[in-house]
Amino acid sequence: MSVRVDPDLMKDLKAFGLQDANMCYNCGNCTGTCPLSTSDNAFPRKFVRYAQLGMKDKILTSPEPWLCYYCGDCSVKCPRGAEPGETMMALRRYLTANYDWTGFARKFYTSEKFEIMAIAAVAIFVGLGLLLFHGKPNWEHAALNSVWPSEYVEMADLGMAGILSFLLLSNAARCFKLIMGDLASKVPFSMYMSEAKELVIHLLTQKRFGKCTDRMQWFVHLMIMTGYASVFLMVVVLINGLYLDRVGIEGIKFQRDWPEYPIWNPIRLIGYYSTFAIMYGTTYAIIGRLKKSKPVYKYSHPTDWMFLILLQLTTMTGIFIHFTRLLDWPFPTYAIYVIHMMVAIPMLVLEVPFAKWAHLAYRPLVIYLVRVKEKYALSLATAEETSMEQAQPEVEIAS
Amino acid sequence: MANMATQSIMVVGGGMSGLSAALEAAEAGYQVYLVEKNPYLGGRVAQLRQYFPKLCPPYCGLEINFRRIKTNPSIQFFTMAEVEKISGVVGDYDVSIKLSPRYVNENCTCCGKCGEACTMEIDNPFNYGMDKIKAAYLPHDMAFPMRYVIDPSLAGNAGEMEKVKAACAYDAIDAGEQAKTLEIKVGAIVWATGWQPYDATKLTSYGFREYPNVITNVMMERLAATNGPTHGAIVRPSDGKAPETVAFIQCAGSRDENHLPFCSGICCLASMKHARYVREQYPNAKVYIFYIDIRATDRLEDFYVTTKEDENIIFFKGKVAQIFQDDATNNLTLRVENTMTGKIHEIPVDLAVLATGMQPNTSVSPIPTTVAYDDYGFVASSGKLGICAAGCARSPLAVSESVQDGTSAALKAIQAVARR
Repeated sequence: MSVRVDPDLMKDLKAFGLQDANMCYNCGNCTGTCPLSTSDNAFPRKFVRYAQLGMKDKILTSPEPWLCYYCGDCSVKCPRGAEPGETMMALRRYLTANYDWTGFARKFYTSEKFEIMAIAAVAIFVGLGLLLFHGKPNWEHAALNSVWPSEYVEMADLGMAGILSFLLLSNAARCFKLIMGDLASKVPFSMYMSEAKELVIHLLTQKRFGKCTDRMQWFVHLMIMTGYASVFLMVVVLINGLYLDRVGIEGIKFQRDWPEYPIWNPIRLIGYYSTFAIMYGTTYAIIGRLKKSKPVYKYSHPTDWMFLILLQLTTMTGIFIHFTRLLDWPFPTYAIYVIHMMVAIPMLVLEVPFAKWAHLAYRPLVIYLVRVKEKYALSLATAEETSMEQAQPEVEIAS
Repeated sequence: MANMATQSIMVVGGGMSGLSAALEAAEAGYQVYLVEKNPYLGGRVAQLRQYFPKLCPPYCGLEINFRRIKTNPSIQFFTMAEVEKISGVVGDYDVSIKLSPRYVNENCTCCGKCGEACTMEIDNPFNYGMDKIKAAYLPHDMAFPMRYVIDPSLAGNAGEMEKVKAACAYDAIDAGEQAKTLEIKVGAIVWATGWQPYDATKLTSYGFREYPNVITNVMMERLAATNGPTHGAIVRPSDGKAPETVAFIQCAGSRDENHLPFCSGICCLASMKHARYVREQYPNAKVYIFYIDIRATDRLEDFYVTTKEDENIIFFKGKVAQIFQDDATNNLTLRVENTMTGKIHEIPVDLAVLATGMQPNTSVSPIPTTVAYDDYGFVASSGKLGICAAGCARSPLAVSESVQDGTSAALKAIQAVARR
């Protein structure tokens, strides 16, 4: 089998944040150090090697970059300072760009200017949209529904969710094809189904992350993830209290009119949890990246900063709105709401299908597919064994 | 001709390169002072079982050199001596040498009665602390000068010292000996203070000192030596049992920017030599040599090729990342990626030998005057005229190269004083 080599791969990967991979002399210390690396899925050294040799196809079809959670042990112990952990990170960015069929992700990752322009463009679009389309504001009370009724926000939400899901799922389908290759159709459907719980478990718990030596990162990641997931549930699914006859169920509606829910209301408590969790996680990460406190924070790609800044700005403007609503100040509420949307929407629209957020789909999917592949290989091996056993008895008697 | 005082040469370090430099200069007719920190000459070579290139016992070569010293009136040597101060310029250096008390004078016949009388024990430095010796001791069987030494811990214990002194029939023990400072004038200096094994406790993933069956290459050399702690039996320190599987871990702290960034150049061959020690002793033992790259240069390639012919010696390409110990048996498991196949292996072994590299002693105790060093603490080759380095103070070298380097340093020193 011939191997196609891309001589420009290292140069290309540099744009995705590759550091000193050319320093690597392939001793394998990183792979032996990694607590997540296994004999069947050994990394990171092999991937540093692939990068050095320009073996692009190997990288594109490999699951390993997604099996790494970047604890940084490999980089700390690397005798050459070749930053294998950052190589794996750069490969995840590279894969995100390559899974994306629109080509947008590549531009987003490789040009900081493009990244900022894209976010600004969506922000302006959202801002103008909110200013152009609105109802008659209630200046007596801070009632968001008077300006931007929740049922319309919900419609926009669902429309956006539809587009994002389409983009993300179509990219995930490409990821699926690359990882599974010829096996995609060979593996029986029932096997995909029986392992599906693995997908859900990894999506919700990221339990593999807990095997890293630095468990703090797992905790921080879980905080951001759960905080984000719960707030997403509220602003997209429950914004109008589930779609029922344009009205929704009053008790679970997120964007409700003045007065606010009482303090012990579950919706409000979930909101507080989300706010705390995201602020805690993002602040920890921002301080870590500023101080370069651990290997995972040593190098920051522009998209890493953008991700944290957008997430933190969204949360902070959300907190402001909460207070202006509690104080019942109509104008500040409406004004900050516009800013809030101008940050939150670009973050979702651009980060989810094209950048860092996309890993929410790729990582659990790939871990799940690795599991499916293992099961399939095992079933083939047992099938072979049984057929051997069936053929064996006569020989055994003879001997 | 200039005055005779500035024609003399001081050689610091009585190891292989220092001995060579001192002898070559003395035999060329120059007055030489040889200064050695240990109570004996011969340096690290004296601690080897066999040495390259011919795998001969080190005393073959050392004894020839000691005889040359004994018969040459131009050499004056000092043991237990350290250079404290150097001042002046080429052709006219003033040097202060601190002489530590040995507490044993030239009357000593090495009868050993003092050692028998002594109840105090110390870690045996000659065997890297793998066994204990009496605090009144002969550094090793073939020590030159052949004279006992009394450890400062014993000298400080008046009661015990009294007993030891009483046991000596030759009035060889001088309990009141004090440290002295010697001032000499020399014209040129050869610095040959050699190396020390890199501190393996810094390699935290390998558990040296924590796991008894993890040893270093220099310890392996002592284990295999007939005058070593086990009289040549290569056994596990934890239980004294013969190992069935022995692992050699190459580049333990070498070629590593977190430790010694350079290659010492000798450890690959040393481990192969050790693998042969093991295989000679245990015909069924299995040996792994874990390496990043094997560095066997020039004719030593033959040694590599021959070693590879032994089917029980497995050359495994991959740097061992971690060692785990089973606390009940003290057995070890090594986690390593085979970089040829990309698979991770967990390999059980009975004994692991860390092939640690050479750290220049000058990186720990520099020359007491301004001299240029390279990034790793070796004396830079462009040292000033009059002070030059030889052997492993200049670069990591094998024994035969150290001899050549000593000779070359002798010539440089002679040139420095002959120009006066």
